[in-house]
Amino acid sequence: MAYKFLVDTHHNLCIKCKGCMAICKNYNKTPKGVNRIQVVTINEGQPGQLNIPLMCLHCNDPPCMKVCPMKAIYKREDGIVLVDKDKCIGCGYCAFACPFGAPQFPEGGAFGSKGKMDKCTYCVLPYEPEKDENGNVIYRDPVPRCALICPCETILAGEMEEITRKLRERVGALTASKIESLFLF
Amino acid sequence: MKLKLTRRDFLKASAISLAVAGGLLKYAKGDIVRKAEEVQKKEQEKGYKLVKTICTGCAVGCGMLAVVKDDQWLWIEPWTNNPINRGKLCCKGASANYIVHSPRRLKYPMIKRNGKWEKISWDEALEIIAKKLHEVRQKYGPDAVFFAGSAKVSTEMAYLQRKFMAFWGSNNIDHQARICHSTTVAGLGNTWGYGAMTNNFNDMRHAKCIIFFSNPSEAHPVSFYHIYEAKKRGAILICCDPRFSRTAAVSDLHLQFRPGTDVALVYGICHEIIKNGWYDEEFIKQRTYGFEYFKQEVMKEDYSPENVEKITGVPAEKIRKAAYLLAHNKPATLQYAMGATQHPYGSQNIRSFAILQLLLGNAGKVGGGVNAFRGHDNVQGATDMCVLSHSLPAYYGLSEAAWKHWCKVWNVDYEWLKSRFSSEEMMHKKGFTMSRFAVGATAEKYGWKLDQPCPIKVIIWWGHSTASVGDLKLVKEAFESVELLVVVDPFVETAAALPDRKDGIIILPACTEYESEGFVTNSGRQIQWRNRVVSPRFDSREDMWILFKLVEKLDKYEPGLYAKFTANFGGKKPEEIRPEEVWDKEIMVGCITIGMLGQKSWRIKRQQEYDYTFSEEDCRAYGGPCDGEYWGLPWPCWNENHPGTPILYRNDIPVWEGGHDFRVKWGTKAPDGQSLLSGVNPQDQIFINGVKWCFAIGETFEEFIKKNMVPSGRGRARFYAWNMKDPVPKHREPLYSPRLDLIDKYPIYEDEKYGDFHYRVRIKARSWQIAWLNAKMTEVFPLIWTSGRQVEHMGGGAETRSNPILAELQPHMYVEINPKTANERGIKDGDMVAVISPRSLEYDDTPAYIIVRARVTPAVPEWLVFTPFHWAGQFQGTPYLDRFPVTDDMDTRPIVYGDSCNIINPPGWDPETQMQATKSGICNVVRADKLQEFLSQYKSKIEQLKAELRKMKVME
Repeated sequence: MAYKFLVDTHHNLCIKCKGCMAICKNYNKTPKGVNRIQVVTINEGQPGQLNIPLMCLHCNDPPCMKVCPMKAIYKREDGIVLVDKDKCIGCGYCAFACPFGAPQFPEGGAFGSKGKMDKCTYCVLPYEPEKDENGNVIYRDPVPRCALICPCETILAGEMEEITRKLRERVGALTASKIESLFLF
Repeated sequence: MKLKLTRRDFLKASAISLAVAGGLLKYAKGDIVRKAEEVQKKEQEKGYKLVKTICTGCAVGCGMLAVVKDDQWLWIEPWTNNPINRGKLCCKGASANYIVHSPRRLKYPMIKRNGKWEKISWDEALEIIAKKLHEVRQKYGPDAVFFAGSAKVSTEMAYLQRKFMAFWGSNNIDHQARICHSTTVAGLGNTWGYGAMTNNFNDMRHAKCIIFFSNPSEAHPVSFYHIYEAKKRGAILICCDPRFSRTAAVSDLHLQFRPGTDVALVYGICHEIIKNGWYDEEFIKQRTYGFEYFKQEVMKEDYSPENVEKITGVPAEKIRKAAYLLAHNKPATLQYAMGATQHPYGSQNIRSFAILQLLLGNAGKVGGGVNAFRGHDNVQGATDMCVLSHSLPAYYGLSEAAWKHWCKVWNVDYEWLKSRFSSEEMMHKKGFTMSRFAVGATAEKYGWKLDQPCPIKVIIWWGHSTASVGDLKLVKEAFESVELLVVVDPFVETAAALPDRKDGIIILPACTEYESEGFVTNSGRQIQWRNRVVSPRFDSREDMWILFKLVEKLDKYEPGLYAKFTANFGGKKPEEIRPEEVWDKEIMVGCITIGMLGQKSWRIKRQQEYDYTFSEEDCRAYGGPCDGEYWGLPWPCWNENHPGTPILYRNDIPVWEGGHDFRVKWGTKAPDGQSLLSGVNPQDQIFINGVKWCFAIGETFEEFIKKNMVPSGRGRARFYAWNMKDPVPKHREPLYSPRLDLIDKYPIYEDEKYGDFHYRVRIKARSWQIAWLNAKMTEVFPLIWTSGRQVEHMGGGAETRSNPILAELQPHMYVEINPKTANERGIKDGDMVAVISPRSLEYDDTPAYIIVRARVTPAVPEWLVFTPFHWAGQFQGTPYLDRFPVTDDMDTRPIVYGDSCNIINPPGWDPETQMQATKSGICNVVRADKLQEFLSQYKSKIEQLKAELRKMKVME
């Protein structure tokens, strides 16, 4: 079992309503400048324009984890990649390693302009994790709010198996309609 | 016939492929929703309260769950059972709690004295206002007050605003709908009876083709939840937009037309449809009137695709393609918003849309209709309550019969109400509008003539935005020239800071809509109950309390006013009167014309409780206590047993199931003798003992509905509307048209069409155009200006620009400009530029301009620039943040600010409704540091235009 995100870029669905960005900031209370999810646009203003919501994709073999000198980044059994902020020194190696620009750094941290790294936690941890009376971090249920409220259903979240099946169905239907056109002509 | 279709288009058009793709493309609903519901249950167990409430971001009416603990709104959970949005939200809904908890809220009433903002108590503030109102009334009469009402407040509150002005004795009340969809009401209403969105958002999923005349991906993002559902089922999306908008980016065909040429474009499509015989002959024969007149006009050579290409700039091939796709993918639905309505011929644009749908037989069909997407969350409700200067609630107008009807509902004597007006004549005279009230306040200074004995001396600005009003320079002067300006808003609305004056402004902190409760009607006429999430913050109060309290204060000067105003509520105190009482005892009794009779508060609340029984396919409840009801009981809902009418004008289902028909509104016979009764099952309007149905208070219409009779009759939709300025739409050029060669061929309305006075002011049209033509200014102002929405902001932006999340997501006011146009002017992305237009020269010496950031993008063509309109806090480059109240414990300055683009809007007003023109202007863009150079370079040209305008006496 592994939790994952998949972003459907096959259908050009995202309209950049930024609901994902807003709900993420709202639910996880990230400060100004820290966006755990961002919508990037390619070919803006021209045919082929595509909006892609980008967040931490919770890689199977996360490069950020590999390069972290403090071993602050870890992967839970359910596949969610998290950062231990008590260990993070804000060096920014992870930001170099990540192909998606997921790691975020708040302004004005202890080391120069960088604070401790923050990134998508699959909604299990807010920006400042809550702790119980014994000082243990309280983890919330892994239900990413971005995927839940996306009006265009661009973002798929859930167990790997389930969402890949879903995406495969979508892409399959797209291909099927293309094959069909071959028969028609 | 020459018709090039790509293989893809053909495939999409073929019915077989639709069936196959439709079957395959049904996505399974994810487990994530179920999981979210489990989480929500857990949260409730932990003591969090989940309050069902309705987003205020736009008119889709999205539901959401507010997570509340200890009277604090913590975050938002999706309301997955709300059939309209199933928990989906855009950034405005997803950050709604930050509006309530914004650090920039207005905390207590303030008054401006001697150039300083001072804190005062509610009691004192209302006392000052009441006293001033009384004084002005004594000195000038009741018409010296202008009341700007609101589409943000609940329907009951909007209704009370209208009622207040009726009891005050003036028709000078108006609100956002005037400058939003007033032309929709005129255009659609005159075609088939009601001036509202015919279907609803959910229904769009049944369309096979959707033609957009706006940019819903930014203005109504959650509508895409349904639009994409249609697309998944094989629907084709056609986008008509001068910009390559985000909607165009996901559409199959983009018709990039010149702003203001909607009629020509639609006629090009109609021409092609008629030429090829693709129209629905049976439908036209049975259910419409005047097709021949329309055909005569549209089949003129002017509207052949080739000629339309010359007018609109859309290639003839694309017009043909659009016509083909529309005709071969039925049902097709047409969607539009401000881009079509805000023109000096807006009513005709909307008429042409309705006509296109009649031609194709798409009216009154599932997946068809004309879907007018409205802007504010309750603008449909406020429009239904007619916070408008030309009508009493529910579109009754201002006739004696209308006044008598409402007096009966209000339980007051007609003669008494008449005595409140300065004369009987004024009682029936339409008041000032949002678009031109500024003339009413500045008339003395400029010597302009008014159709009332006094100018405006007091302005009450209640939940209205300033940035959306055109001719902002004059509006600023209006705010500066009145004796008292009262602004009621949760934030310090621009109106309180824009005027450069030392005293005479009172601002009252209304609480946000999430802190009060009431009924809201979304664009699809669906009524929902908005629960109170948290109690009003700080010293803010509910709108209803403020209004009742003000009436109570006025009672001191005008004894008996409060008792009469609250006659139906048993003399209760302001804080005791519930919204449900206003709703059930007055609105549900008086609003017969639109069939607002059966939506009793208990029914709406019951629907909210059993939300899960409603289907998202047709918004209908299957099983449960609401069985058979439609979500929101869309009007007409004739009685307590009626399920509502989600789709207007459907004659294929019985009335008791939500059937309806085109209204019999203009008699049973047209002037040319043809019948105006339906050819299918003709039926005149219902008269009960000689009383017309819409005046029959207390009637349930049960026996008629059993016989499948519609109280408003079964009539015909009109291609030809003889009572309008243009019985059949015609292409007309804007007043300041960039195409001088077309002006005389397609002139704007003659001045006479507006009469001596138009809503109490002098309006001219053709004179402006002649002055513009004579001055030949296209070399000075070669670019076309249009405006629109940013997804992050809403209306005038007072709320959203003070919302920390939204302010972060969109901190900039900008002008979108094509790379080529920018390069020619030495403008780089991010440079500060001046956008100059020849506006305000009719009364001022310098042309109006704005200073904004350039956003260089190919999304706009070379001849177009685009600005969003939500911005304020800066006037022609000079910030006025210092005029916002700041105290030790309160900072009301918006987090982000920018220039308001409606300073540069062109002149032009619709002769039917006085809609302002804010979508097709002309301008030039120069680097901000080159502004003075530009002005001196073209000084003589600008002087020339000024002289021409004076010569034509455009303002009188």
